[in-house]
Amino acid sequence: MGNFWLLTKREWSERVMNRTFLWMLFIGPLVCLLMLSFLFKAGDEGKNSINVLIVDPAELMDHRVMAQAEHEVHYFFIDDYVEIEEFRDGSQYQKFDAMVEINEKILMNKKAFVFYRASPSMDVKMQLKFQMERRIEELVVESFTNLSIDNFRRIKQPLIMDFRNVYDPKNESSDLESWVGFVFGGLIFLFIGIFGMTILRSTAKEKSNRIVEVLLSAVKPRQLMLGKMTGIALAALFQLAIWSVLIACGLWILRQTIFPDMMNPANWQGIQMAADVQNQVVMAREGLSNNPVLDLVYARIDYAWMSVHFVFFFVAAYYFYGAFFSMIGAMTGTESDGQQFVMPILLLLGFSILSGYMYIHYPDSTFATWISYLPFTAPMVVMIQLAQGVPIESYYLIWIHWLIIVLSAVLMLQVAGKLYKNGILQFGHRLRLSQFWRMFKS
Amino acid sequence: MLEINNLCKSFQRKIALDEVSLTVGKGEIYGLLGPNGAGKTTLIRIINQILEADRGTIRMNGQLMTQSQLANIGYLPEERGLYKNMQVEEQLIFLAQLRGLTKKEAQRNVSHWLSKFGIQDWRSKRVESLSKGMAQKVQFIAALVHDPQLLVLDEPLSGFDPVNVELILTEMKELKESGKTIILSTHNMQSVDEICDRASLIHESKKLAEDTVWNLREQHNQGEYMVRFKGNMIGFVNALWTDFELLGHEEIGENRFLAKLKMRGASQMNDLINALVGKVEIELLEKKLPSMQEVFIDIIRGKEEVHG
Repeated sequence: MGNFWLLTKREWSERVMNRTFLWMLFIGPLVCLLMLSFLFKAGDEGKNSINVLIVDPAELMDHRVMAQAEHEVHYFFIDDYVEIEEFRDGSQYQKFDAMVEINEKILMNKKAFVFYRASPSMDVKMQLKFQMERRIEELVVESFTNLSIDNFRRIKQPLIMDFRNVYDPKNESSDLESWVGFVFGGLIFLFIGIFGMTILRSTAKEKSNRIVEVLLSAVKPRQLMLGKMTGIALAALFQLAIWSVLIACGLWILRQTIFPDMMNPANWQGIQMAADVQNQVVMAREGLSNNPVLDLVYARIDYAWMSVHFVFFFVAAYYFYGAFFSMIGAMTGTESDGQQFVMPILLLLGFSILSGYMYIHYPDSTFATWISYLPFTAPMVVMIQLAQGVPIESYYLIWIHWLIIVLSAVLMLQVAGKLYKNGILQFGHRLRLSQFWRMFKS
Repeated sequence: MLEINNLCKSFQRKIALDEVSLTVGKGEIYGLLGPNGAGKTTLIRIINQILEADRGTIRMNGQLMTQSQLANIGYLPEERGLYKNMQVEEQLIFLAQLRGLTKKEAQRNVSHWLSKFGIQDWRSKRVESLSKGMAQKVQFIAALVHDPQLLVLDEPLSGFDPVNVELILTEMKELKESGKTIILSTHNMQSVDEICDRASLIHESKKLAEDTVWNLREQHNQGEYMVRFKGNMIGFVNALWTDFELLGHEEIGENRFLAKLKMRGASQMNDLINALVGKVEIELLEKKLPSMQEVFIDIIRGKEEVHG
């Protein structure tokens, strides 16, 4: 055990004291935060204040749209036809950001075209739609009913067809949560890919610089292999922990400084207005803010729950996949050899990520059942299941999946240990597939 | 100290060791000789528990060899290897700790050996910045930093300049004097002549010979003598008559010669002295024993002739 920890410590130090690793410790979270900021901004992208030209040759609108002073849409009217090209190129129209075509059939078909120069923000689009719809309602009531506009609005309700899973009648899970699980699962496989390659390179390097013979005269091959894998795993977990802390701090700072208004309900005009005309129930369920990314990051992820399971499944999956990387590293004849044998492992990692996508879309298929039990893909599926929410009565299944991965990892480590022992002192050859079987037999 | 009995090892169809047995006594320097591919490295790896023997046993101090006894063995492999990006001292402490030393003991021993080899100024340098010879010294220290009872050195002199060869040989002699046992695998036959007490020769996976170095040389003695004398060469040849055969001679000065002779029949060294006294002035007379290099070649050729 003493030697195992010595090997682990040395490997950990080599990774962590590496200048690139230290740089990545800070650059990684910084890049993540920049990307998140970009996504937050993208969720609220577009021009926030626009001038809209209402082309109304039939003069239906009567030069009136209920624009509000504090809102960012400014309306201008013209009672004549304006061609798109004319609007696009005519100097007199350049001050307008968008043109709305109102034709005489609008009261019947409820359809209008909006031609814009640059795509407006979601908020502005919703304001425009809301205000235009309110005006059209007034015209419809005036033309076809004897009702007052207030009465009309009171009785007007769209039909709500709310599709719900019989096993989730409160609709607590959603696609958005599934994608949270997908991101966590993806992180598991991303880190396995990165640090698996580190295992392979480090093993091949020890082999090529011949230090391995000195080490093997003091420790058992399996001890050496596990010490290396554990040292690298600790470095990976250390990096993840630092990243998590830095990203959490960064998100807090972003919330306090750059995006303070996004979490304030008073700023969600679009949602409020849309709720008037659409369906309050549906909209309320969509999230706390009108920015889905922001909502996902700040409100929907149960970080503690996901993180605890993440660590367990990451460690199990890491040792499972790490065994493959270790055995390839030990079997290589030269440091650059063996790249071709890494490709199937990387494809498996890619397949596992893809399987998460498939699971989200076809959760009840036979394929989904299979991939939830296969040790290659189970970590991804389980993270999605955990994000969606697992009923307490079937929570034990999560740990069955984990146990399957752990047992598979133990089995693979046995196989890898044997190949490692037989292959680590073979030098200068060109690695062939048949050698795996020969080394395993011998 | 070390008893190896009927050791066998094969790699797939290739036999690497075939019923090899040998005994290494405590406090001796034991030469393990043989051409490339003979099986020496395999034997050394089995002693170090890096490889498992198919058959046979190894006992150290009477006990069957186990992993726990590795702390008493120091190993310098033929293919040198160190972590290139680790500092010298840090690396030696790490390797010593792997052999069972505490960190304090390791630090103390490392410091001692670095001073002894005059490389204490390099303790904080990374291995990649060392010269080849310097790295070899570090590797040598790594083999003995944990104060092992048995040292297994595979080609310890390769890569060293003559000054450092002398340093390593002196160190090996000192280690022997302090009671350490050394197994030395080398192609440097001069060093075997110089420092080995006993040696064995392995060829094509089998042990062909094992004895003290002196006995091995004696066994392959061709009955040759070297004579350095002052006088007349014709007189010298006449004195030899039919009892001795002159194999060759060299004039090394004015009327001074060095001659190589071979005895004929039952002639002894005393007969030679009697024959020469009064004819020439004898300056030196010695029985010429073959070097270990000649013994080595003799045994290998003899074996090949038998098979041929």
